[in-house]
Amino acid sequence: MVFDKDVFLKELKEATIRGDPDEVIKMIKKVLEVGIDPLEVLEKALVVAVMELGDRWVNGEAFISDLIVAADAMKVGISILKNKITRTARGIGYRGRIVIGTVEGDIHDIGKSIVAALWEALGFEVIDLGVDVPPSRFVEAVKQYNPDIVGMSALLTTTMLKQRETIEAIKKAGLRDKVKIVIGGAPTTEEWAKEIGADGWAPDAISAVELVKKLMNID
Amino acid sequence: MAKPRIEVLSNEEVIEVHVRSLNILNRVGVKVDHGEALKILHSIGADVDFSRGIVRIPEYIVKEALKKTPSCVRLYHRDGKQYTELYGWNTYFVVGSAAYYYIDLRTSEIRRPLSKDLADIAKVADYLSNTHIMSTSVVPADVPEIFADRWRMYVVIKSCSKPIDTGAFTIEGVPDAAKLMAAVIGEENIARKPFMIFAVCPSPPLRWSTLAIQNLIDCVKYGIPVHIIPMPQTGGTAPATLAGAIVQANVEFLAGLVIAQFTKPGAPLVYSGSPTVFDQRFATSCTGYVEVNLISAATSQLAKFYGIPSGSYTVVSDAKAVDAQSSLEASFGALISVLAGINMAIGLGMLMEENCISLVKLAIDDDIAGSALRFAKGIDVDVETIAEKVIEEVGPGGLFLKHRHTREWWKKQHFIPKLLDKRTTDMWRKSGSKDLNTIAKEYVEKILKEHKPEPLPPDIEKSLGEAMLGIAKKYGVEKLPEV
Repeated sequence: MVFDKDVFLKELKEATIRGDPDEVIKMIKKVLEVGIDPLEVLEKALVVAVMELGDRWVNGEAFISDLIVAADAMKVGISILKNKITRTARGIGYRGRIVIGTVEGDIHDIGKSIVAALWEALGFEVIDLGVDVPPSRFVEAVKQYNPDIVGMSALLTTTMLKQRETIEAIKKAGLRDKVKIVIGGAPTTEEWAKEIGADGWAPDAISAVELVKKLMNID
Repeated sequence: MAKPRIEVLSNEEVIEVHVRSLNILNRVGVKVDHGEALKILHSIGADVDFSRGIVRIPEYIVKEALKKTPSCVRLYHRDGKQYTELYGWNTYFVVGSAAYYYIDLRTSEIRRPLSKDLADIAKVADYLSNTHIMSTSVVPADVPEIFADRWRMYVVIKSCSKPIDTGAFTIEGVPDAAKLMAAVIGEENIARKPFMIFAVCPSPPLRWSTLAIQNLIDCVKYGIPVHIIPMPQTGGTAPATLAGAIVQANVEFLAGLVIAQFTKPGAPLVYSGSPTVFDQRFATSCTGYVEVNLISAATSQLAKFYGIPSGSYTVVSDAKAVDAQSSLEASFGALISVLAGINMAIGLGMLMEENCISLVKLAIDDDIAGSALRFAKGIDVDVETIAEKVIEEVGPGGLFLKHRHTREWWKKQHFIPKLLDKRTTDMWRKSGSKDLNTIAKEYVEKILKEHKPEPLPPDIEKSLGEAMLGIAKKYGVEKLPEV
């Protein structure tokens, strides 16, 4: 049987869109056996699958649960391919790196996780610090991962105040000019973002995609 | 007389949900981010993993806690005389609470609310006859966020005499609220004649936050009533299946009930809720899906099975403006609330997935509430109402218009809406061909101009002001803003 690369990449892309990690792992092992360029696999199957699904979601044509599951399947695939790609993480088809978390005292997960998945769908490497993240952890993460953008979520009017504290902590650590900082969450407003010196604000998940596109000059 | 009622679960299904909930409480447990609560739970025999904060609660403890829970909750007006009894199949309509946005009455612009807007909402709610319970409905933007929760209470207490649904965003929120209540009714009456009820929300799935537990424990210690609001989002933070969302909400409620009743037996609780549909297309938490009403009706049935008053956010809408959607979603919710015997039907005035209050919607919702309450009364059938004698007297081809029976009964039998248009087309044209929104807006303007809520007695007004100033001073604010 002749191995048809294009058919294979298409099938891998479909497995990613289906969110089938077992199939993705199986196919990627095959990739490594037959010796297709891992970078090509990444860009033409895994990332493109999630980007396409992300576009469809933004147009109200796909379901968010499908998008998140596809993003997870993509990440599983990337974790296997990573070691085989000699270029730096930033070179492997990612458009950039974003650190995201819900601020200290706030345990709301869902909005932050959706934004993380959408940014992944946009082609970014997203490092999710989880919920109830203290300012010091954000500072550490900026040092450790050297991201392009830091995203902070808060769902409560009181925990929202932690967004200011976190920005102050990043400033104090001398890292403020190294990253762009964006905020979101139900009680936040554009005025609040300006007041605390954030670089951007998004009222909802779709706007979070637009915001990052704008900040990173992506069409 | 058969009262119109609905049940969405059979008796067997109610028991099934109950038993599955007990299983989950016992086998999976809930995460409780609160040291004192973990200690209480440990001391009564629950299986507590202190390092992870996970508590597994055996069935016998839940049953004991249910036995300690009162079957009726009284909410007083701030004068300590009138009260509303949350019990049985009575439905009371409640203004939606804690919106972050407000629709400007004049410009229809969606903007952050100010304290003056909250005072206006309080004044209108004070006037409306089918709006039984006011709430601290918006979070004013003109005071520091850190004490906005208590400032809301102060503004509403001043402008509205009805019971108040509120909540705290801070650890200090409840003890400070008790000070405000004491200033109005005296410390000895906080538990005896509470005029505020606190919303306390678990964080789905299966988790109780530090803040929520602290607020719950504080309320219970002061004897202030609490409505526990599980907020399952189908397909987000809860199963996509309605039955699964109901079971999860029930587990979260029961965990809160156990903590409350073992903090202080007899703590007044309401089994409330704010279920939403997590829309997979837009990642929005929608309150107006009709499935929300199915979940609310089901938890009301569970509350009745447990013998505890019920509540739910049912009169809400996901519309971004006051329009057909906002009224039809509120109407379904209001009608289903009375049919399901939900004691607190919450959300009047609310739009935008519980993020916004509109005075125009509030006025329309009051007519919706009145209509639903009328429907729930059903049809009186007796000698007088069946009117056999009257029909005989009027006879074929006759007219009932002039009959004494008509003059006596018409007004008793019908709910007369304040805003819904029942005039002739000609009358409608001559008065400017106005739509419902315009009529409602003018109605609200008239209330704001003419209605004078009963003022607080001067000595109480003074002590309330002092109590609020004492709270503000803790945050470096030396003078209270004018309202």
